[in-house]
Amino acid sequence: MTELTLKINGEDVTANVEPRLSLADFIRDHRRLTGTHLGCEHGVCGACTVLMNGEPIRSCITFAVVADGTEITTIEGFDDDEPMAQMRQAFHENHALQCGYCTPGMLVAARDIVTRLPDADEARVRLELAGNLCRCTGYVGIVNAILEVLEKRRS
Amino acid sequence: MKSAKFDHQRTSSLEDALAALGGADGEARIMGGGQSLGPMMNLRLAQPDLLIDISRVSGLDGVEETAGTIRIGARVTHARIEDGEVPGVTGAYMRTVASGISYRSVRNRGTIGGSVAHADPSADWPSALLALGGGVVIAGQDGERRTSFDGFQTGPFATGIGYQEILTGVELPTLGADAKWGYYKVNRKPGEFADAIGAIVIGAEPRAVCGATESAPFRVPAIEEKLAGGVTELSISDARDMISAHDPGFDDYELQIHAVALSRAVGRAFA
Amino acid sequence: MADGGAADGQGIGARVLRKEDARHLAGRGKFTSDFRRPGQQEMAFVRSPVAHARLKSITKPAGHEAAVFTATDMPDMLPMRAPSRLPGYKAADYPALATEKVRFVGEPVAVCVADTRAEAEDIAQAVQVEYDELPAVVDMLAAKADDAPQIHEEWDDNLVMETFADDDFGKIADRATVVVKREYRMARQAMNPMEGKAVFAEWDDRADQLVMWTSTQVPHLIRTGLAEFLGLEQRQVRVIAPDVGGGFGCKALLQPEEVVAGWMTRHLEAPVRWIEDRREHLVTGANCREHHYHITMHATPEGRILGLDCDVTVDAGAYSVYPFTNGLEGAMAHGNLPGPYDLEVYRCRTQTMTTNKPPLMPYRGVARPGVCYAVEMTLDALAREIGVEAHKIRAMSMIKESALPFMSIAKKHFDSGNYAKSVEMVVDMIGLDEIRAAQNTPASDGRLTGVGMGSYVEQTAHGTSVFASWGVAMVPGYEQATVRLTPDGGLELRIGVQSHGQGMETSMAQMANEVLGIDPAKVTVTHGDTGLTPYSTGTYASRSMVMAGGATARACRVLAERMEIIGAHLLQCERAEVSVRGGKVVSGKGDVSFAEIGRVWYLNPDELPDDVDQGGVEVTMGYRPEPDSGAFTYASHACKVAVDIDTGAVEVLDYAIVEDCGTMVNPMIVEGQTYGGATQGIGTALLEESPYDAFGNPGASTFADYMMPGATDAPHFRIDHMESPSPFTEYGIKGMGEGGTIPTPAAIGNAINDALKSIGAEVNETPFTPRRVRAAIEAALKNRQGEAA
Repeated sequence: MTELTLKINGEDVTANVEPRLSLADFIRDHRRLTGTHLGCEHGVCGACTVLMNGEPIRSCITFAVVADGTEITTIEGFDDDEPMAQMRQAFHENHALQCGYCTPGMLVAARDIVTRLPDADEARVRLELAGNLCRCTGYVGIVNAILEVLEKRRS
Repeated sequence: MKSAKFDHQRTSSLEDALAALGGADGEARIMGGGQSLGPMMNLRLAQPDLLIDISRVSGLDGVEETAGTIRIGARVTHARIEDGEVPGVTGAYMRTVASGISYRSVRNRGTIGGSVAHADPSADWPSALLALGGGVVIAGQDGERRTSFDGFQTGPFATGIGYQEILTGVELPTLGADAKWGYYKVNRKPGEFADAIGAIVIGAEPRAVCGATESAPFRVPAIEEKLAGGVTELSISDARDMISAHDPGFDDYELQIHAVALSRAVGRAFA
Repeated sequence: MADGGAADGQGIGARVLRKEDARHLAGRGKFTSDFRRPGQQEMAFVRSPVAHARLKSITKPAGHEAAVFTATDMPDMLPMRAPSRLPGYKAADYPALATEKVRFVGEPVAVCVADTRAEAEDIAQAVQVEYDELPAVVDMLAAKADDAPQIHEEWDDNLVMETFADDDFGKIADRATVVVKREYRMARQAMNPMEGKAVFAEWDDRADQLVMWTSTQVPHLIRTGLAEFLGLEQRQVRVIAPDVGGGFGCKALLQPEEVVAGWMTRHLEAPVRWIEDRREHLVTGANCREHHYHITMHATPEGRILGLDCDVTVDAGAYSVYPFTNGLEGAMAHGNLPGPYDLEVYRCRTQTMTTNKPPLMPYRGVARPGVCYAVEMTLDALAREIGVEAHKIRAMSMIKESALPFMSIAKKHFDSGNYAKSVEMVVDMIGLDEIRAAQNTPASDGRLTGVGMGSYVEQTAHGTSVFASWGVAMVPGYEQATVRLTPDGGLELRIGVQSHGQGMETSMAQMANEVLGIDPAKVTVTHGDTGLTPYSTGTYASRSMVMAGGATARACRVLAERMEIIGAHLLQCERAEVSVRGGKVVSGKGDVSFAEIGRVWYLNPDELPDDVDQGGVEVTMGYRPEPDSGAFTYASHACKVAVDIDTGAVEVLDYAIVEDCGTMVNPMIVEGQTYGGATQGIGTALLEESPYDAFGNPGASTFADYMMPGATDAPHFRIDHMESPSPFTEYGIKGMGEGGTIPTPAAIGNAINDALKSIGAEVNETPFTPRRVRAAIEAALKNRQGEAA
C-alpha cells in the first residue's frame, strides 16, 4: 500500500491505496464521487476525464498514486466555475445530452476548449472533441453548445 | 479491466531511479506519463512487478536551446510541445506532430521521452524525430551517453536503451529559417495511431522517413537523393517503388498508403 | 373533458428542455455502477478464449476454491430458453455458464468473486480450463455446407430458421426488362453504449425478494426471465433500472451475467456486482448487423421497380437470446425488404445460420438497415445502368400517398404518409443540381465528390398481433400507465417502459400536460422499477411514445374526470359546467387548483361530494392502438461525400434528412434521436466492424481496433420534418427512435458509388473502409485495362 495525499475539489484527502488502483476508481469508490464514469479503461472514450492541476487528463489510465501532490477537479467540483456554468446551460438548451453517461467527461473537455481555444471554429471544436465519444447525440447539440459558449465569451 | 498487482517506487533523483532499476526483482518499468503503459496494464498485456515513478526527478522537463541544438527533457509533455515551447522552425515542425498525437487529455500527460522509449511502431515521435535528426540522451550506471536516432529503434517496441538505463532527453537540430518540412499521417480518425506516416525534413540535408511500418520507421535514401537533387514533388508511383526496395513486408494497400504519406509529405514541405 | 396543454405551450409539439438534464450535468446521475453496499462482492468472469471446444475440465486456483463457481456448482440455475412459434425455428438453449461445450470466444465459463474487481480478475487469471478444440464455424455462408462443423449437435445442420415466400416473375417479365443483380455484405458490429452492461444484486429478506439493479431497457422482461431460470416465483424478483447509459438493443435481452448475479447473491448472502468492461463488450457484444444478400431488382426501362428477388443470410451467432430469440431478425428482414416500394412480385428467402460468434441481438433498426442497404444500393445501380436519376426511380416506384392505408406485398399495413414527397424534399435540401454541376470539375484536392440517398419505411410500436404471430416469450399487450395526484397537486406518473436516453421523464410529462395542463415540472415520471411500475415489455421497437404515451393520455383523461367531480362540488356547480384545463378544474364561476383537489381527497375527505369516484385520484389505464400492426414512420436521407481515390478515405461533407414520424411530441428529442441514429449509421457505413479470423478469434477487442464515430466523423446534419399523423394512435403519434440508423449505410454507399461511377467502381461491403474503397477502385481500373487490352 502507498500513501497518497492530494486535493480533490478543493478538499485535502489522504489515503493508503494499492498502487494499481486507478485515479478513476479512487474517485468513484473511495471518495464516492460517482460523476466520473468509466467507459473503456484504455484512454480512448473520454468518459473519465477530470482536471489535474487545471488540465484535463484521463483518470482511467492514471494510477491514483501518481496523482500524489496534485489538485484534482471532478465534475462535482465546478459549482463556482463560470465557464462550466455557461457550458452546462448551453448543453441543456442545445440538447447536448441524452443518456448522460458521457456528459461529465464531455463537459470537462468542452470547458477546456472554450477556455484554452477562444477562437476555435466548428472544425477545430470537432477535432478537439475527438477524444470524447458519445453514442447517443450524434454530437450536434454538443458542438452547437460549445460554439454558443465560445461566441458568448468572445462578446 | 484492472491492472495486475505491482510495486510502486517514488524516486526523487536520477540516481535513485537508476538504483531502483538496478536493484529490481523481476520486471521493472519506468513510468513516464503512463499514457501508453496505463492501457496496456489495464488490459494485462503488461504486468511489470515494479513501476518506478520519475515524476519528481528534476532536470527532465526542460526545453533549452544552445548552439544549434535543442535539448528537450524526457518528461516534456506533448501538450507543452503543441503549445509552442520548442522554439523556431524545429518548434513549428514539432507542434504539428504533437497536435496530432491522441487527444489533448492524453497529451497533457504523455511525454516525448516516454513515447521514444516505448517505441510503438505506429506512434508519431519515433518517425518524426528520425526525420528531424539528432538523437537521444541516456543515463546509466556509468553516466550519460548519446546515440543518434538512426538505428535507435530496432523493431516494434524495441530500442537501444539497456535494461538498466533511463532515457533522459532528446537533442534535436535547430533548423534554419529556410528549412522545409512536411509531415503526413494516414489514419482512420484524428488522434488515432497512424496506419502510415510520411515525414520529410530538409535542413542541413534531406531526410525522408517511412513510418508506422509495424516495425521501426526507416529512412528512404532514394527519396533523400531526389530531394537533394532539387525535386519538389514525389509521385505516389515513384514513392511505391522506392519504398518497396526496402522490402518492408507491406501488402498492396499498405504500400499504397505509405507511398501516399510520403508523396503528400513532400507536397507539404514545398507548399 | 380535459383540454389541457395548448395554452402554456408545454404539451405535444413543444421543444421542452429536458428535466433529466439537471442531474447529469451535475454529475449526479445514478447508474448501476454508482451503487455501493457494505460487504458487496465483485464478480469477474473466466471466459472462453476459443470459439468452439468441448469443455474438459476447470481447475480452481489453490486457496481460492471458494471464490470460483462453475455450472457444476450451480445446478439449480437453468439455461436461458427463448421459444418461438416461427415455423422451422430451432431453439438453442443459452447456458449462463458453459456446460459441456463452449461456442464463442468470450462465452462465460466460470465466475470469480472477491472484494474488488482487481482481485476477482487475479483469481480469474489463475483459473485453469482445459479445452478440446473443435473446428469453428465463422462464416455464415460456410455454415450452410453439408460438411460444416456442427455447433449444436442435436441439430442436423447449422440452420436456425428459414423463411421463404415464392412468387412468379413471369407476371412482369414482359415489362420488367431491366434486371440488376448485386451481392452485399454488412459486417458484424458491437452496439457500444457508453455505459456497458452492469448488474448489482442483493437479496432482500424483508420482502423475500431478489432485488437486482441492472442497466436494462426491459426491467419487467428481466424479472420474468430471472424468475424462470432461477426457479423463483415472479413475486420474489424485483428488477430496477436506474439511470441507463444507452442501450440500443443489447440491453433489451436477459444476459447470462444477470442470471449468475441473481444466483450468486443468494448463495453468498452478500450483494454482488458485475460491471462489464469495454473489452468484454467488444468481444462478447460483437453480436449484430451481420447479413449477406444476393438481390435481383426487376424494373422497366424507365425505372419503375416491379419486382425484388432476394436471398438473405443472417449470422445469428451461437445461441438464442431471451426473450426475442435469434430468429426474429430473419423474419424482419423478410417483412421489411420491400420497403416503401409498390412491388408486383416479391420473392424472398432468408436463412438464419448459427455460427461460433456471440449470440445475435437486435441492434437499433434490427434488420432494416441491412435490407434498406441492399435494396437502395441496388436501386442506385439500376439508376446508373439506365441513366435515370435515382430519386426519380424512387418517386416512381414508391407507394403513393393516395393509396394509403395500404397493405404491402409483405403484409405490412402502411398507415399514412407521403414517401415520394420526402424524396423530393431531401433532394432539394442536399442540393442535387449544384452537386451534379460541380462534379464535372475536379476538386482542388483531387477528391471525387458523390451524392447518394436512401429511403425507408419503419414499422414502429407494433403490438400484440404481430408479436403473437412470432410466438416469442414476450408479447406486448395493453400498455399500462398509472397516474396519481399528490396531496399538493403534483402528479406521479408510472410507466413500465424504460428511458435510456430518450428523455421520457420530459416527453411523458408533456403528454400529461397535453391532457391536464399541469406544468411538466410538477410531474414525476417513475419508470424502470418492477416494484413500482405497471407491467410492460419495455423499450424497444420504437414503441414507448405511442404505447406508454397513449396509456398516459388515457389514464390522465380518467383522472381528469374524477377531478372534475370533486371540482364541480367545490365550485358548487354542475358536473357539465366544469372541465380540466391548464392544471385546474375550471368553470364559468371560477376555478379550483389541482392542489386544492389533492388537499380535499387526502387531508379533508369530509369535503368530498357523495358521488366522488371511490377509486380516488390514482388511475391505471391500458392502451393499445387498433389496429396494432404498427405505425409506419418513414424518411429519406441524402448525403454528399468526398472520396480520396489514392487512399480510399471517405469524408461525409453534408447530410440532409427529411423525416415523418407523425405527430411529434418533442421535436428536439425527435431530432436528437435522429442525429444519434444517423451517427450510428455512419459507424456502420464507414467505421465499425468486429472481424474474426478463421479460428473464430475476434479481431477488435479495444477501441484502438474498433473505430467509433467521433465528432469529426459526424457531419453537421440538416433536418426537416413532415407530419402525417397516424390514423390509429393517440394524437397520431408514431415511433421513431430507430429510424436514423436505417438508411445511412445506403445513403453513404450510394454516394461513394456515385463518386466512383466515372471509374466504374462499386463498394458492396460495410464498413466502406479506405482499404475496401481502394480495392474497389483498383478492381475497376484493372477491369478497364482488361477491356482496353
